[in-house]
Amino acid sequence: MKKLFFFCLALLMGSLSAQAAEIKIGLMAPLTGAYASEGEDMRRVVEFMAEELNKAGGINGAQIRLVIQDDGSDARTAALAAQRLVTDGVAAVIGTYGSAVTEASQNIYNRNGILQVATGSTAIRLSEKSFKLFFRTCPRDDEQGLVAVNTLLRMGYKDVAILHDNTAYAVGLAEETRDGLLKDGKTNLVFYDALQPNERDYNAILTRLRGTNPEVIFYTGYYPEAGMLLRQMREMGWQIPMLGGDAQNNTDLVKIAGVEAASGFYFVSPPMPDDLDSQSAKNFMKAYQAKYNATPRSIWSVIAGDAFSVIVEALRVTGADAQKMGAYLRDNLKDFDGLTGKISFNAKGDRVGDLYRLYRVDDKGNFVLQPK
Amino acid sequence: MIPPRLPKSALRAAMVMAGAGMLALPHLLGPYWTNLLNDMGIYAILGLSLNIILGHCGLFHMGHAAFYAVGAYTAAILSTRFSVPILWSMPLSGCLAGLFALAVARPIIHLRGDYLLVVTIGIVEIVRIALVNNIFGLTGGSNGLLITEPISIFGYEIFRPAHFYYLIWSMAALTILLFYMLQNSRFGRALNYIKQDDLAAEGSGINTAHYKLAAFVLGAVWAGLIGAVFAAKIETVSPQSFSFSESVLYFAIVILGGAGSIPGVLLGAFLITGLPEIFREWQHYRLFLFGAAMVIMMIFRPQGLIPPGRRHYNVWPYLGSFPRGVASRNREPR
Repeated sequence: MKKLFFFCLALLMGSLSAQAAEIKIGLMAPLTGAYASEGEDMRRVVEFMAEELNKAGGINGAQIRLVIQDDGSDARTAALAAQRLVTDGVAAVIGTYGSAVTEASQNIYNRNGILQVATGSTAIRLSEKSFKLFFRTCPRDDEQGLVAVNTLLRMGYKDVAILHDNTAYAVGLAEETRDGLLKDGKTNLVFYDALQPNERDYNAILTRLRGTNPEVIFYTGYYPEAGMLLRQMREMGWQIPMLGGDAQNNTDLVKIAGVEAASGFYFVSPPMPDDLDSQSAKNFMKAYQAKYNATPRSIWSVIAGDAFSVIVEALRVTGADAQKMGAYLRDNLKDFDGLTGKISFNAKGDRVGDLYRLYRVDDKGNFVLQPK
Repeated sequence: MIPPRLPKSALRAAMVMAGAGMLALPHLLGPYWTNLLNDMGIYAILGLSLNIILGHCGLFHMGHAAFYAVGAYTAAILSTRFSVPILWSMPLSGCLAGLFALAVARPIIHLRGDYLLVVTIGIVEIVRIALVNNIFGLTGGSNGLLITEPISIFGYEIFRPAHFYYLIWSMAALTILLFYMLQNSRFGRALNYIKQDDLAAEGSGINTAHYKLAAFVLGAVWAGLIGAVFAAKIETVSPQSFSFSESVLYFAIVILGGAGSIPGVLLGAFLITGLPEIFREWQHYRLFLFGAAMVIMMIFRPQGLIPPGRRHYNVWPYLGSFPRGVASRNREPR
């Protein structure tokens, strides 16, 4: 009995002393469900960076411990995961990917005074709630609209057709772009309508489009439809350039369209992990490649790595007080050197700075980053 | 075989203690476990509402998330557009879900078994896609709707998991009571008759189409009511919460627990929501473990964990007075 008592005491002491030199950071990621591949990459990237940091001595001598919870790509599971992380006493939370999923967790973190840095949630309204402890290292949906407008203007086309697919994201991007183009006044919007996603035959809408004689088509939906459009445009022998949004940044687009039809297609998107140009990003990608023998499949997991970096930076400067960390990130963190470029936050907690790049599909079907 | 009866006083004391334990639970557990209990309560009520359709009436209905979605979105739209306090819109949520069920179930109610199943899967997918496509500009597309109005009952604001615990479980208690009464009513017996043999039921003068439709509407109304509570609790409704796989979960709750049995469905709800959380530490293996547990249970107990007991009716007292006594009682179940 006595032995047991001392054993328990020793365990207690052990856990207490471990707590003193350890800071917990939560990662909420979709490890299961529809976005599981994104979640797996997020976990790998953040775990890798935490290991590196701990090897290098941690934050002011304290080691980082990651607490990873699965949000199941679903609002209900995310609320449970958030509640769990709050109970676990994390200093800050990274995540998560889907906007609606993040939203279900936002209130829980806000009420419990925990700093949250979202990584793939681009919906505008997330940062319009004046939550003092909410940040994101990904761009916002309306930023992409601005980039699309600038790209179209720079390309110098006069007659533009905009096509969307009625999903909230695509409509948002289409509206932002339309308003931007109309405000500029130099271009004519000859066509603005939606197609029905998940179909096989888009000849009807393409024929209608062709009747309006546009010089360029901007399609704001997802890659499967973009691939079908490109393929059927080629089949009907109609050759005009087409531009897409970041939901078309997927190599399956080339498979669907065929290499010949896809070549010459443009899209705006945050850079692919392989195209990150800063030295720190190149070193990171090399070390990551050596460890996992693969590169992250999309940019969003690298953005989760950036969320980890800014949290660590805030912890280093202010300690584990969430209010102070939030104030520091909002007011004092300027041009922090992240993997995806310079990071600063505005008053709403959104990332400032241009992350979007223009890509072109070359005649071998590769996505090639265009110079700025 | 009738199990030995406990003395009534002991039973009552046990129930009082269980009740007190339920009341104290959120104070003993942290917010995380309370939240999990809330989810269990919601799933239990959903399971019970599906149990009317699937368990009692034997209709293979795999689209229950559609009715749940109608309820949740009704409450959310009323709250965001018209600032109706979200819990006040509960009756309307239930009614709209019921009306929706009436409209979609009326043409398909004669379908049998698997055919009905396929159509109900279609319904849940149509509803989900309609929500994603921002139908009538009301549903907010794939990002869904955000509820910003504070939620209160009689001026008492509820936002903590413990508050929802009392709300959800008192609703669950009411549901259990009502559905228990329903199960033993003429309506409940008619549903059971249809489940066992709908041709014989029809032959005995039961209007099977009417009862099937009534079961559908009743189940949908209840799913709609709890949909409004779900919207209030999660504060954001989005189409992902009402996917086909959710419907499959409700189906699994009823089948796993024991179709037609209230304690079975409650146990099913506890396991289906509880197991993935208990396996949380294994992260991405947790759904695998969950699936394996379900397969094992179905191999060893295909009738469900707590199948409904056979109904016993004591006919001895009537034997002497046949046919007069039987005839007068017989009129009741039609």
